Amino acid sequence: MPSYKLTYFNVRGRAELIRLLFATGGIPYEDVRIGRDKWPELKPKTPMGQIPILEVDGQVYCQSMAIARFVAREAGLLGESSSDQARADMLLDGGAEVGELLKEVVLEKDASKRAEKKKEFSEKSLPHFLTLYEGFANDSGHFVGESLTWADISFFNMMDFLTAEFPSALDGYDKLSKVIENVKSNPGIAKWLKERPVTDH
Amino acid sequence: GVHCGACRKMSVYELHYFNNRGRAEPARLLFAAAGLPYRDIRIQSEQWPEYKLKLPMHQVPVLEVDGTMICQSVAIARYVAKVTGHAGKTDLEQAKVDMLVDGIDDVMTKKGDYVWHEKDETRKMEKKTAFYETTLPQFLSHFEKLLRTNNGGDGFLVGEGLTHADAWFLCLADDILLDFPDIFSPYPKLAALVERIRTYPGIKEWLAKRPQTPF
Repeated sequence: MPSYKLTYFNVRGRAELIRLLFATGGIPYEDVRIGRDKWPELKPKTPMGQIPILEVDGQVYCQSMAIARFVAREAGLLGESSSDQARADMLLDGGAEVGELLKEVVLEKDASKRAEKKKEFSEKSLPHFLTLYEGFANDSGHFVGESLTWADISFFNMMDFLTAEFPSALDGYDKLSKVIENVKSNPGIAKWLKERPVTDH
Repeated sequence: GVHCGACRKMSVYELHYFNNRGRAEPARLLFAAAGLPYRDIRIQSEQWPEYKLKLPMHQVPVLEVDGTMICQSVAIARYVAKVTGHAGKTDLEQAKVDMLVDGIDDVMTKKGDYVWHEKDETRKMEKKTAFYETTLPQFLSHFEKLLRTNNGGDGFLVGEGLTHADAWFLCLADDILLDFPDIFSPYPKLAALVERIRTYPGIKEWLAKRPQTPF
């Protein structure tokens, strides 16, 4: 059994998808959370000066999506065929684009600019994205085939962040609400959601 | 074409994009490296408003495989790499390839930010300077080191052969060399890698005949 050590700050951020995937797969790992004061010392030891990093039997990997894909593969959550896997990849990448737009809203310091960006996001980008993704989900509440894949889990994780700003975002989106239910009721994930440290992002 | 083992049928590949290299070129390089035929569709701007409505996320590139549409440039390139055997041999190699591609994607996105999104001319120049003085040198020095960890850096980025990480790297290189032809002088292994990818069988021929576009 390989040894897995994940290092990140004590937030959900860019590590949470990875943690959710370890949890779904029931794969034990070391969930290292470093203080900001420890970061300058660690930074030069990382492949690209960034975290999260995943150490697997001594090899160090960076880039949150690359790590997540690796863990998803180990947990059997990638998708069956190459085309299923490509579908999952494309849905994840599209979700990441919206995640970046959300970040722009949340990180805006100027109050009136923030209100403007939030309005634009909630009136244009968000409905556009949710409508497309409601179309991508099937009636059983899955994005790829008939069973849970990392595409579903990643969507859940994104909505976790998004509903902090827009609590009723999924009202009226029946299939997307089903995706969320399917993910939350997975035993590994349900356990993690109960036990994970509560952080503001 | 590629034979699907069970059905003994050739798959039909159509790549939809605009008439430039942009985010479709890594997939084009991978098709070329494998000698795998595909339809290289280049959309005219007048067609675009209607065209985009047929696409999964109203964006290009899109790869259509026997009628199924896959969007998102990184997902597309990974899929073509898998189908052509250029994705990395083991799970760990694939993770390494993915991480390098994501790093390149990050840098390309930062470049795209000042080229395409920044409208104010002064801010544009400021961002371009920051990109070439800080962001890019940091990235290239990480990559020179990462390349050297792979058999001394005299082959490809990961493992023993070409992967989609190399395809993405050539696309970035093509772009930055237009601004600064000597950008690789502090990074000899990366400079040699660019030449190695350029002369790869299939890619060499494609580079000679592909449409010449500014980006």
